[in-house]
Formats: sequence, C-alpha cells, structure tokens
Amino acid sequence: MTAMFRAVLYGQWRWSRLIVVLGTVVAFAIPLLSLQGATRADRGALQAQELLRAVQSWGTLYPLLATALGLLMAIAAWAPDHRGRHIHALTLPLERWRYVLLRFAAGFVLLAAPIAAVLIGSSLAVLTATLPPGLQSYPIALAVRFAFAVFVAYAVFFAVSAGTARTAGIILGVIAAVILLQVVASIANIELDLFGAAQTVLLLGPGPLAVFTGRWMLVDV
Amino acid sequence: MARLRRQSDSLLSNWRQAELLADVADSLERVRATAGSDTIAVGGLRIIVNPSPLRWREAAERAWPVIDSLYGSAAADLPQYPYIFRAVDPDGSVRRTVLHVGVELPWDLDVRGTTTVLLTAVIAPHFDPAVANWLGTALRPTFRPQDERTAVFLQLVTAPSDAVRRCFLGDIARCKDVLQVGDSTGLVTRWYVTPAEREALVTESFADYFARGATAPSLQRCRQHRDEACTALLQSLPPGSLPRPLGHAARVVLVREALRAGGRDAYRRLVASDRGAIGARLSSAAGMDIDSLVARWRNDVLAARPRPLTLPWWAGFAAIGWTAFFGFCALRSSRWRL
Repeated sequence: MTAMFRAVLYGQWRWSRLIVVLGTVVAFAIPLLSLQGATRADRGALQAQELLRAVQSWGTLYPLLATALGLLMAIAAWAPDHRGRHIHALTLPLERWRYVLLRFAAGFVLLAAPIAAVLIGSSLAVLTATLPPGLQSYPIALAVRFAFAVFVAYAVFFAVSAGTARTAGIILGVIAAVILLQVVASIANIELDLFGAAQTVLLLGPGPLAVFTGRWMLVDV
Repeated sequence: MARLRRQSDSLLSNWRQAELLADVADSLERVRATAGSDTIAVGGLRIIVNPSPLRWREAAERAWPVIDSLYGSAAADLPQYPYIFRAVDPDGSVRRTVLHVGVELPWDLDVRGTTTVLLTAVIAPHFDPAVANWLGTALRPTFRPQDERTAVFLQLVTAPSDAVRRCFLGDIARCKDVLQVGDSTGLVTRWYVTPAEREALVTESFADYFARGATAPSLQRCRQHRDEACTALLQSLPPGSLPRPLGHAARVVLVREALRAGGRDAYRRLVASDRGAIGARLSSAAGMDIDSLVARWRNDVLAARPRPLTLPWWAGFAAIGWTAFFGFCALRSSRWRL
C-alpha cells in the first residue's frame, strides 16, 4: 500500500508541481509583503493604524489563495484520469474507494508545502518587524487557519471533481433552482430570503465555509 | 435712555408673556399626550406610556439597576422627570396623531431594545455643563461598560499620538494630559508630542482651514517641516477645536471609574460644585487622588484587551469534520466517471 501511495503521490506531484511551487512562493511572500515598512525602527505612533490597515488588506489574499490552491489541486488530481477515461485506474488491482483515498491523501501531502510556507513567511515577517506597543503577532494561528481553509477547499473541489457528470449536474441544478426560486419569490413579493439562509448555513457558525470568513490578521491588538 | 428702558421693559414683558403661553401649550400638549396612559414606576424611574404590547415594566426592571449603579443616591431625584413614551404602529404608512412631547417607538420592539431606549432617554440628574463640556458627550447608563473599555483599549494602541502611546506604556502624567484632568496649559505640545504628529495634524486635518488668508504662508512653512510654524498654527485654533488624541469614550470610562470607586454618593459629589477643576472634582467623587484614579482607569482599560482573532476551539473541529465529510462524499462516488 505504501508503494502504491508513493506512486500516486509521485504522479500527482508531476501533474501539480507548478501549482504547488507557485502556491508556496505566494504563500511565503504574502506575510512578508503585508508587514513591509514595519521593519523600520523609526516608525512612530502615527503608523500603528496604517500598519493594521495594511495587514488587514493583505489578509484578504489568504482565503483567496487557499481557495485557488484547493481548486487547482483538486482539478490536477483528477484531470489525467478524466482525460484517459479512467482506463489506467480500472487496470489497477484496487477498489475505487482505496484509489480515491490515495489521491485525496496525496493532495494533502502536497498542500503541506504552501501551509509551511505561510508559517515560515509569517514567522520571518514578525521576527524582522518592529511592532508598535500593544500590537501582537499571530503567525501560528494564521498558519493553522490557512491549513484548515486549504483542506476544506481541497475536499469540496475534490468531491465535486471525483463525482460523475451526473453529480456535478445535480449540484449545479440545486444552485440554479435556489437562484430561480429566489427570483420568483422576489417577483411575487414573497418574503423568502434563500440567499440569506444559504449564507447563514454556509458561512456562519460551524458552516463549511466559516473558516474563510472574518479578518485574517497576522498582526492585531 | 428712558426710551431704551421702556423698550427693554416692553421686550421683557413680551418675553414673559411668550414664555407663559409656551408653558400653557406645553402643558396642554403633555395632557394630550398622556391622556389614557399608564404610569409605570420602578425604583426612581417613572415612565408614562400608552397601552401597547411593549413590555415596559420588564424593560424598566432591567434598566433601573443600571441607572442606579451609575447615579447612585442621585438616582432618587429622577422621579422629578417622568419620561413620556408612545408606542406607535411600526408600519410608517399608518396615519397617527402628531405629538410634540415624549418619545415614539414601534410597539414590536423587543425587551432589550425597549430597555436600551429607556437607558438612552434618561437625563442625568443635576446636569452639569462643565462636566458635559469636558466629556464632549452625554454620560448615560450602559449595559455594556466592557465594550466601552475595549474601545478605549483600541484607541490607546492605535491613536496616532505619542502621548497616548506613552500613557498605554504606563506614564500616568501622559494619561492625565490626554484625558485633560491635569494641567491644561500648552495642550498642543502635551497632546501632540512629536513634530511629526503636529505636522500631520495641520496638513491632514486643518489644511483647508489654514490654506487661506494670513495663515497660508505658515501652512507652507509647516509643510516644509518647520515645526514652529505647525505649532503656531495649532495654537491659533479657537479654544476647544484642537482634536483630542483620545475619543469621548476614554473620558466616559474615567467618570464611570470615579463613580464606581466613590460609592453611592459619588455622583452627588461630582456635581456638587461646577466651579472646580475637572481633575479635582473627579478626585472628590472617587474619594482618591487623581493619579490613583487615572492609574485605576488605565488598569481597567488594559484589562479590557479584546480577544485575539484566533479561531474558536470548535472551528478547527468543524473544518476537519467538513473535510472528512467531503472526502467521504468523494469515496462514495462508486461509478467511474464516463
């Protein structure tokens, strides 16, 4: 099984190495860029607010990067199989679920690189910065959050990508039905807020996308 | 001289007549507004309300302890000022009688909202213009003093003022400066300690104000990093227009701290004399010297540091759970994609 996993991992690395390398470089650069200027020792009291503003603005890139990495890695994991009409996978002496599990796990292993890059980049950025009194850095919390976001994004897109055309059609159909229902309800002047409900379910509390929301701050009070 | 005296007497007589008529009109309006209304009394709070589904008594029972804890023994004077409220239909298109006294609020408000309205409507017993002027806002009872302190903490950390930063780091003299409870001479250099702050203040907040007339050359010099020009411009501002380095909340929290420390008669002592310096009055209200009071204020504010923006403990489990769930969905797709 280990040899099988190595083979799958190697295959997946060949197909997605460009994504992994680029993602790792970007993940390393964002924390360093977000604290640019904070390394100057002559920064006075005037800059604390500006620093927080800059950190918050750069912080919007972390969930976007996590989503992009999850999406591209999931597509890369399945693209060759889809192109080859799964002939290679069908020739393997392996059940379908084991094969999917190996692909899923290989994706997580490859995604460890950009997550580690966020951790190293954040730690390096806060080590070289001179933070105003009262402000604190959260490199580990940020990296952990990034890891969760990458994993959730990868799992969502991996599940969609692993499914059949019918599954993808059902998902798209449900989304279209929700939009249609909302439009009809608005026209008929019926008090129905499906978008609001969807937002609550997906983004708030323990919703699947809740980890993406809120402020992603490397430095905060 | 006699003609002027006659004219002033006549003006005085007209003014008294007008005042009388206004009182009568006000009284009639009050009678009209309170006709068929109930009076609810909870502690020293008296509210006159029209029949409605609003849970006034419950709201008053929640509001009274908060009011009492702020004003202490002075809250007993509140029954002199009963508050008139009128519950109205939340549908704005429904026509209703226009009244000129009291406060209108929709009858579908929940208890928390009604309590907040009550707390907002309460007028401090023995209004003190000097304290109000120093505060820059009204001192009102609040449900969430912790939020106020947290807001002040954020100001201490992020305000673009070196004096504020030094206060944050423990310099009580600087705290007294930025709260304006000590020596208030030379406020410009006390509040904005560094030349960079003064220049930023002039060029960012007062550039339009100083750009015309005799101050325009000084503004130019200030822009060329000449600190004496920046300082002179700021010193030429009308009294009270120099922006405070800390917002109103900082002073409100200080007053709350003084009232909390001084016991039930603290508010009475605070408003007993409107002539003394604010620092001395706060000190008298709190029953301690001003340095100790400001140190207590600072400790309270530092203790209200907001929680860091880390994920709640369950968010990690939720993310792992959703990852496992979607992974399971992928495993369950039993058919090969064709």
